[in-house]
Amino acid sequence: MDYAKEFLEKIHEDLLKTRMLEEKLVETYAEGKVPGHIHSGVGQEASYVGVLATRKPGDYFKIGHRVIAATCILGNPLDSFFGECLAKKTGNAGGRGGVNHTGRLQDGVLGMSGTLGCDAGISVGAALTIEANGTDNVSYFFVGDGAANRGPVSEAMTLAADWKLPVVFVCINNGYGISTPTTFSSPVPNVLADRAVGYGMPSVVVDGTDVLAAYEAAKKMVEYTRAGNGPSVIECKCYRWRGHFEGDQCPYRDGTVTEQEIAERDCLKNFEQVLADSGVMTAEQFAKMRADFDQEMNESIERTLVAPEMTADEIYDYLYV
Amino acid sequence: MKVTYAKAIGDALKEEMRRDSKILLFGEDVAEFGNIFGITRGMLEEFGPKRIRNTPITETAIIGSAIGAAETGLRPVAELMYTDFTTVCFAEIFHCVAKWRYMHGPEYKLPLVIRAASGSSNGAGSEHSNCVESLFMHAPGLTIITPSCAYDAKGLLKSAIRSDNPVLFCEPKLLYQSKQEVDEAEYESDYTIPIGLADVKREGTDVTLVAVGLMVPRALEAAEKLAAEGISVEVIDPRTIAPLDKDTIFASIRKTHRAAIVEESNKTSGIGAEFAAMFQEELYDELDGPVARIAALDVPMPYNIPMEHYSIPDVERICATIRGMF
Repeated sequence: MDYAKEFLEKIHEDLLKTRMLEEKLVETYAEGKVPGHIHSGVGQEASYVGVLATRKPGDYFKIGHRVIAATCILGNPLDSFFGECLAKKTGNAGGRGGVNHTGRLQDGVLGMSGTLGCDAGISVGAALTIEANGTDNVSYFFVGDGAANRGPVSEAMTLAADWKLPVVFVCINNGYGISTPTTFSSPVPNVLADRAVGYGMPSVVVDGTDVLAAYEAAKKMVEYTRAGNGPSVIECKCYRWRGHFEGDQCPYRDGTVTEQEIAERDCLKNFEQVLADSGVMTAEQFAKMRADFDQEMNESIERTLVAPEMTADEIYDYLYV
Repeated sequence: MKVTYAKAIGDALKEEMRRDSKILLFGEDVAEFGNIFGITRGMLEEFGPKRIRNTPITETAIIGSAIGAAETGLRPVAELMYTDFTTVCFAEIFHCVAKWRYMHGPEYKLPLVIRAASGSSNGAGSEHSNCVESLFMHAPGLTIITPSCAYDAKGLLKSAIRSDNPVLFCEPKLLYQSKQEVDEAEYESDYTIPIGLADVKREGTDVTLVAVGLMVPRALEAAEKLAAEGISVEVIDPRTIAPLDKDTIFASIRKTHRAAIVEESNKTSGIGAEFAAMFQEELYDELDGPVARIAALDVPMPYNIPMEHYSIPDVERICATIRGMF
């Protein structure tokens, strides 16, 4: 492989941590410790990690509701992440926002609208700042195949194209919007990439469960956008392993397909196989990293469980500056 | 000197943009065309295409990009042309603008202003004549300002632009060409008017009339007429609908013991509905009679101009309502 060892190790670390965080959220939710609902991104991590491997300091990120653990690889400390998910004062919004609103502005995380797609223009606005500062940074907008159909996404793409701003529109196409398959919801197989031409944007479609393929595809678009050519589109094809939310038994889809997807397109397992086969890392290293990070997460959750919650006298805090 | 409301808005924008290079203005037809009411004419030439930016008809993205620009260090002024168009980007304002900092934490400040022309304008019809303040009073976190004269418009718009909170700034379009005599030295000075401060536009002793936007000059005219009949009306312009200067309004009601509200929007669930509820909850013992709501009829604004005028409170309707309180 023509990659530096450090680069591959970093991708692996991001992929492993994102997977383990998403799994830990499922576990924590099952234990009744998450007050709201989670939308597990288990199985979709490589789409985020591959695309985000193109990032550099000063970039901005609008993360989607699935694979919220992506904010952690961007710098969000575990105590802040779990704090917000578990509605504690240690969360970035002190438990006012919740699972869809984790992350820190200082890491470039712009925030997310729970009304999916309403935040599309926000990525365009961050790109205005990038342009004003004259850097070659980009603003990443992650959206699922469901919200990609929404008007605000179309309007944001139109505006970003008209203003020729550095926005990279990333569609994580996992095949389903709650119970609705993209074969029904989208007139074209590639929900956002096939429409990119209508906005004058180049696009790539890639297997979002292959982290290096996602990186390579994203790199083409991100380089194009960093060079000042305007916005671009990346569509990562993956599969939603779990239900829309925990408890969704997915009666609307063929379970054997899900089993096959999990068996054959496990982005972490497949990447670790590649790393082991090429002698970059060993199974022992993977195991040690797992054990270490699991302990790190458990310690953070222990702290979070005993952390204070906001009180009635703080309920108006953050409403006005 | 005499200055129009429209010029005051334009002057505030220009003065602020000269002061702070982080401020930019964008919206539909604001650049070469200078906005459909001429408010931003000449600004493209002065500030250039990076700071005065046309947009396509993409209201959700106009609001969204204002949020993204504001939280990352710019101070955007987003123009929506008509306040009616807030309804096509309602979620972006109601959910995102108003709640962003609350949902994401104190780092996420939104120093942005949403400007739009508000209210009736002689035949603009049902979808270009609305006042939307009451829709957004239901969104905690949003500052809502509706100035009623040129002097206030300039001072309040400057404060709105300098505020680190998001502001919805409504400009009653029938006021755009209204002229006001102002002290030239003061007008040219860098004065501002604080957000959240009401103004007693006329002192009186018998009844407190809270008037908003276009209704302020009508309330003052009504007060003049009623004075001749022996009814002394105190006219208060809240200027900032949210947060509301309850101190000034309540002090007036404690003095007059009667209260009325006049607004240009529909009566049901309007500004007056909220204010009247607040007055009876908090000042019940001070009131000598029911709080009166003077508002537009509960119909979509008719295109027919005589019926448009009929549906909106005029001086006669204000006078008749106030007389009925005694």
